[in-house]
Amino acid sequence: MNKLFPLFFLLISFADFDVKQSQFIARQGQVSFFSYTSVENIEAKNNQVLSLLDIDKKEIAISMLMRAFVFKKDLMYEHFNESYIESDMYPKANFIGKIIDFDASNKETQTRIVRGKLTIHGITKEIEIKTAIENTKGNYSISGDFDISIKDFQIKVPPILSSNIAKTISIKFTFQYQPYEE
Amino acid sequence: MKNKKIYQLLTIAFMVFSSSINAQDLLDKLNEEFPDKPVYEIATFKTTRIGLGHSIETRKKGALEISLYNRYWNIPNFEGQRFLADVVSTRYGLDYSFSDNFTFGLGYTNHDKITDGFVKYKLLKQRADSRKAYVSIALLQTFSHRKFETTDGGIYEPVTTSSNNYAFTSQVLVARKINSELSLQITPTFIHRKANPLNDDANNQFAVGFGGRHKIGGHASIVSEYFYVANPLESVETYNAFMVGVNWELSHLLLQFQVTNARNFVEDTFITQTTNNFNAKDGNFHFGFNATFVLHTKKKKIK
Repeated sequence: MNKLFPLFFLLISFADFDVKQSQFIARQGQVSFFSYTSVENIEAKNNQVLSLLDIDKKEIAISMLMRAFVFKKDLMYEHFNESYIESDMYPKANFIGKIIDFDASNKETQTRIVRGKLTIHGITKEIEIKTAIENTKGNYSISGDFDISIKDFQIKVPPILSSNIAKTISIKFTFQYQPYEE
Repeated sequence: MKNKKIYQLLTIAFMVFSSSINAQDLLDKLNEEFPDKPVYEIATFKTTRIGLGHSIETRKKGALEISLYNRYWNIPNFEGQRFLADVVSTRYGLDYSFSDNFTFGLGYTNHDKITDGFVKYKLLKQRADSRKAYVSIALLQTFSHRKFETTDGGIYEPVTTSSNNYAFTSQVLVARKINSELSLQITPTFIHRKANPLNDDANNQFAVGFGGRHKIGGHASIVSEYFYVANPLESVETYNAFMVGVNWELSHLLLQFQVTNARNFVEDTFITQTTNNFNAKDGNFHFGFNATFVLHTKKKKIK
């Protein structure tokens, strides 16, 4: 009996891995941002955003490469990466947060607040984002939008160009999750 | 008995290990999921010219560059009272990018009456994530045309003959972005010119250009360039071209301010035919002001 006891544990721990799917991944998450001013509208989209969703811990993590944003004009892409977001120093933007009152088994669309830390341009800020969470046949999708102030993330705009770039940038996101296999 | 203990210990170790995997930060896990895609350096130089000569940069497909390069200088002991400077030379230029790597350009300089054109091809892009591509390489071929008019014969029967003078410049532009602030470029240059029967200047000349930029802010950088000529002209005394300046970008408008001893804009002329040295004397001091407007004729669709 004494010999079998650890073996039993071992089996359980393996079984635990296989049966319960608690983590979901989105590999082609979409994040877009908009800057509307009277001079110029700037729009960019990133279709390669990664996100992990842990439905047990009700946690969500998002990570993206700033260089993967696509702009209408190539010069915008260069200025965004070189002069504003400084993607050679800060290549990624991250978010890690908790979904408050998340019910993983709810089959209807639920609107929940995600509270967490957003890191852009090397600066981390606490934010709360309202999201819509859908559960279709065990696969989750999360979408929403929020605004950030470029001042909060120390993105410097020279005074001569301040009319070209909005003070607040609106951000939209959509993630489609699949079961995550390690 | 001993075996059993090891067995139990291993089991515990395994359980600790597996639980530590579960507790691993979600973000760390995510960072391992990024696909391995090559990351190329962007904006080694932000402009397609460092100042006098070309940089390795090419614009992306569909970009049209409309450029106005101005050079101002004084004539020594000049009696007149002209506005701003005694002489202003302007090159009007149009560059169009047919693909991300291939650009074609045309220009006309009003003071020298030189028409020039170039093709530029980006051969190699420096990688930011690996040492495989250590530098960026671009190839440049320019051609220039200058019309000479000479009047021969007596006063009563003047005969005006005109001769066309063509020159060709080939350059291999090699540049490396050392860090986010500093970029350096070295440019081996070959210049071919049609033989001039009046002097014994070489038809083929070799030169090396050295250029660099240092960023002083998100939108401005200090640039400098120097061209060393291996076999200079013998009929006239020439000096190597030097330039120091500031490049400044304002959204679609790129401005370049420079002080230099080069008077001309076309490669074969300023590299080999700069007849004054770099100093502040009247006639030697040249102020350059280049304005380039980038028009995106093809806009990317955001899906």
